[in-house]
Amino acid sequence: MAEQAPILLVEDNEINCEMLSRRLTRAGLSVITAADGVQALQLMASAQPALVLMDMNLPVMDGWSACRAARQNPALKDIPIIALTAHAMETDRQSALAAGCDDYATKPIDFPDLLSKIRRLLPA
Amino acid sequence: MRGAVTDLRALASASGEDMPPSALEDLQRIFSLAITLEEQLAAPSTHHDLMNTISAMRGYAEMLQEDIGAQQPALNDSLTRLLKATENASVGAASGIAAQRAPAMAAEPGFILAVDDLAENRELVARYLSRSGHLVVTAASGAEALRALAESDVDVVLLDLMMPDMDGREVLRRIKANPDWRATPVIVISGSQDMDGIIACIEAGADDYLFKPFNPVLLQARIKAGIERKRWHDREEQYRQQLERNEKFIRATFGRYLSDEIVTDILERPEGLELGGDLREVTIMMSDIRGFTSLSEHLGPAEVVAMLNRYLGAMTDIIMAHNGTIDEFIGDAILAVFGAPQRRDDDADRAVRCALAMQAAMQGINADNAAAGLPALATGIALNTGAVIAGNIGSERRSKYGFVGHPMNVTSRIEDHCRGGEILISDSTAVKLSGRYTLSDRRELEARGLDQTVLVHRIEEYRDG
Repeated sequence: MAEQAPILLVEDNEINCEMLSRRLTRAGLSVITAADGVQALQLMASAQPALVLMDMNLPVMDGWSACRAARQNPALKDIPIIALTAHAMETDRQSALAAGCDDYATKPIDFPDLLSKIRRLLPA
Repeated sequence: MRGAVTDLRALASASGEDMPPSALEDLQRIFSLAITLEEQLAAPSTHHDLMNTISAMRGYAEMLQEDIGAQQPALNDSLTRLLKATENASVGAASGIAAQRAPAMAAEPGFILAVDDLAENRELVARYLSRSGHLVVTAASGAEALRALAESDVDVVLLDLMMPDMDGREVLRRIKANPDWRATPVIVISGSQDMDGIIACIEAGADDYLFKPFNPVLLQARIKAGIERKRWHDREEQYRQQLERNEKFIRATFGRYLSDEIVTDILERPEGLELGGDLREVTIMMSDIRGFTSLSEHLGPAEVVAMLNRYLGAMTDIIMAHNGTIDEFIGDAILAVFGAPQRRDDDADRAVRCALAMQAAMQGINADNAAAGLPALATGIALNTGAVIAGNIGSERRSKYGFVGHPMNVTSRIEDHCRGGEILISDSTAVKLSGRYTLSDRRELEARGLDQTVLVHRIEEYRDG
């Protein structure tokens, strides 16, 4: 895992960001963080993360827009994105997938489930 | 939740010494998150914020269990209870308690009428909606629904289509046929996926629809949209009434003095409502019946008033037809203005033609007077052009659109010199004329109260258009 490119966690809620990055680190993943959609896109370009965990409700640029923007950018379009949202509706899942996300996790986060989704999307 | 946190606190203080500092820090985080969560549940907060707090609590509790759960079985149990409590809270939030608190769902509370013949459906809807702060009344039949609509100011109607007696479509038809209710949004609820039925309802005026069993979040969203629609309509209605009041006020204030054409002009100009005082050039008309005071001494009061009204009525029609503004009648005298509240290029010309028409009308008036055994009248008319201050003048209790300024006094002095049947215009009016008139008897008037003499002309006739 040490060779693995980092996971980019995009989360504006500080305590959640802290909690998730700690748990991800404990699970052996390397984590970098961003607090809004614009920062996320910048970091995606500069750090080329292996995967992005993106909260959808973000300041400056929300997760939906950031996802769509990433999908339109040839340099970023292949980076897997898992959407994190507070809504468990089927329509939310569908709109996350429509925005170009590869998977979807609902808050409160079921961590083992999230971890298996991450591992499924990480390049072998 | 509170019980679980209290437990945890007791355990933490009991076993604090055995815990690594990092675990104590995480415990502290869980406590402060629990406080945040309680605050969020008590006050309106978004679903997103709520889920963030619950998610963080769950994350820290799980990490703590991983770290020291094995060494501290009591603490482990307590954390399990806390996790269970947060799970309940999140399920509760997802099922509606907090769904309406999400920004997209946050609705202005409204007054909802839920119509359904089944008691359990009514209860379910009432529970969903009153949780979001809406006021809900229920009706078990169409007749009850119509009664409720008549009794209260309903924002949105939630209408089940399948009902015995009067079915939902009939209720919808009656709502849309009533002018007081027509604007109230109706959301129809159908038990079957009967799209044709729904389309028929929407054609009949329904605003939205839901199929049973409906999703509570969708219900909230539709209700919210319905309330917004109703609020828009209410605001629009209020605005329309305000405009109507303004128009009525303007018509009442000016209608007696101004021609309909000018009133309509003012109403159509956006700045028309702000008639503050302004300095403007106008042509002033003053007319007076010669010797009316001595004449009236020989007549009874009723005859005087009848004769005056006939005369003033005829003159008013002529002045309005020439788009003049009648400022006031003082006994038999008329004060009118051309060029206020609205200036036109032909103000002076219209004033002169108006004066000529007034003099011409005297023949008919006198014929009527003679037939009624009343004496003949002769009027003198003075015109003068100059800058006056026009505006609503008076006190708060009584004000009228009026004019003040030196040209008013000059007009009055010219009028003093008018003989019966005569029209005198000042030179300042004469130079403004573009039509061709026969002027005569050019002279300087020495008027009392004026420092300078006034050059006047007598108007004999209007030669052509």
